[in-house]
Amino acid sequence: MNAFIEVENLNFGYTPQNTILKDISFEVIQGRFLAIAGPNGAGKTTLLNLLCGLLRPKAGCIRIDGAPVESYSVKKLAQKVAVVRQEFVPVFDFTVAQMVSMARTPYLGTFGFEDKTDKQMVNEALEATDTAQFALRALGSLSGGERQRVFIARALAANSPVLLLDEPTSFLDLKHQVGIYDLLKTAQFEKGKTIVAITHDINLAAQYCDEILVLGADGNYHIGETKDVLSPEQIEKVFGVRTFVGRLGREKFFIPLGKFAKDSGQIAGKSHNIRHE
Amino acid sequence: MAEFLTAKELAIKVSICLVVLAVVMSLCALFPRSVGTQKISWTKAFAGPGQKPGENIDYEILVRVRLPRVILAALVGAALACSGVVLQAILRNPLADPYILGISSGAGLGVIIAILSGISWSFLGGSPIGIFAFAGALITVWLVWYIGHFTGKSQVTSLLLAGVVVNAFFSAVIMFLTSIAKSEQLRSTIYWLMGNITEKDSAVLLVSAVCILAGIIGLFSICHRLNISTLGEYEAKGLGVDTAKTRVIAFAFAAFITSIAVSLSGLIGFVGLIVPHGVRLVFGPDHRQLLPISAIIGGIFLVIADTLARTVFGQEQLPVGVITAIAGGPFFLILLAKYSRKVSWLK
Repeated sequence: MNAFIEVENLNFGYTPQNTILKDISFEVIQGRFLAIAGPNGAGKTTLLNLLCGLLRPKAGCIRIDGAPVESYSVKKLAQKVAVVRQEFVPVFDFTVAQMVSMARTPYLGTFGFEDKTDKQMVNEALEATDTAQFALRALGSLSGGERQRVFIARALAANSPVLLLDEPTSFLDLKHQVGIYDLLKTAQFEKGKTIVAITHDINLAAQYCDEILVLGADGNYHIGETKDVLSPEQIEKVFGVRTFVGRLGREKFFIPLGKFAKDSGQIAGKSHNIRHE
Repeated sequence: MAEFLTAKELAIKVSICLVVLAVVMSLCALFPRSVGTQKISWTKAFAGPGQKPGENIDYEILVRVRLPRVILAALVGAALACSGVVLQAILRNPLADPYILGISSGAGLGVIIAILSGISWSFLGGSPIGIFAFAGALITVWLVWYIGHFTGKSQVTSLLLAGVVVNAFFSAVIMFLTSIAKSEQLRSTIYWLMGNITEKDSAVLLVSAVCILAGIIGLFSICHRLNISTLGEYEAKGLGVDTAKTRVIAFAFAAFITSIAVSLSGLIGFVGLIVPHGVRLVFGPDHRQLLPISAIIGGIFLVIADTLARTVFGQEQLPVGVITAIAGGPFFLILLAKYSRKVSWLK
């Protein structure tokens, strides 16, 4: 399989003196789902902004579909990569359909009217995300979870091979968190999308993502199959939190243990060894 | 299923609005029959120019005074409304109006310099006041743009701040110059600052019309990109729109048509603020229809306001800026009350 996203010796800092990302190299195979996790300030969103061409690396190279990111025009890059950021309410009251239609901008002619293909893509994306029912409502009138589904619909309507997501489930309740990841997994399986999502929820990452890139605050990183990388030792090292690990069938799950967790002393002491089959 | 704006649907809406504009312009050119000292006879006015130029005075008034005046009002209204739409979009600020980036104070300063220095030459039939206003507006906009780019990474905020600072500084200079001006100079300056539509030479009107229409068409070609620019730079880039490029184009066209409008009619407030909001409340925020419909509604609004300005006090004409503010405010509140209920029902 081809590597669709290739990152080679990537270095980046916002000032010449400081470097947030040091010598990062990895690749994402076409049709795979990569999670990016790590503590606040580790540079996850910075890495995402580098992947979608908003920032330029200090050193190193990022290639999408074989060509360096900087070689693409803004329009061409938008045809390759769709980005979903944390949900927001726009300044002006666009409807859901208008917001999703914006994904077709890189394909529109001079005066920006949608053709038959554009309309079909938008309608399919609205159906896939179950947002067609809101199509004519103002985006601002929806709940946070509904809005996030609209932004995912917009990314699907772009029909780009890559989806980049920045914490797509922050502020959402459990049902909506699972709903969003189900949507993404369906897009991965049915449309062959290559997906990179920043997440703080290692349980969702363990359940849905093929691979995980864990960025440490010290600049170190680990990447690999989710089941291999996610371990209590790794989590404690990166996040500074002890975890209880259980198993549900073949799936691992993690419970972070705070100072006041019930029987925390007892569990924490043994937490690395506990396996519930 | 989603509904999409099609070119055909837009053409129908724009055509209907244009018909309304034509009707309003005709009515305002013909009515009231008597304004000022002259009462015109429609039969005579429609009879044609007569054998010699100036023979049929009713025809001359209609064609050389009334008609150019409504055309001028429509052009200025369209330019201000379009400029308001575009600046609200690129600055992502619903409070933006055509004068927010220093055009008003720049033009005002140009006018005061023209009046105080007593310049009397003209260019292409344009008065020195108009030409100085145009030059002052463009130079100030360039200055604001330069300062905005020079000072900040967040260009929208730094542009707004630069506009506020330059406006405040130039306003202070204007106040200083008016305080040392003679009373007759002061009166013409203040009258100009209040906004006033007066008859213009047909060559000036033609050149202005071509420039304003070209500017509006130029702006229309970036409307779908303006929609996306309102979401912010990062969102826009992800959707394939280079906001910096869009901002330069939008800003250049908007500054150009506003400067022309200001040089033609002085500072007419409120049109560029409330017309875009009113049209947005009724038709939604899609700039592909917001811009052309705002242009036409802006034209209609100013034609009516100017007709009221020249008729409500009989012999005495009011500055049209007074009417736009007095009539526009309550009208906008009615729209807001009606449509905000609809929006809150959605919410």
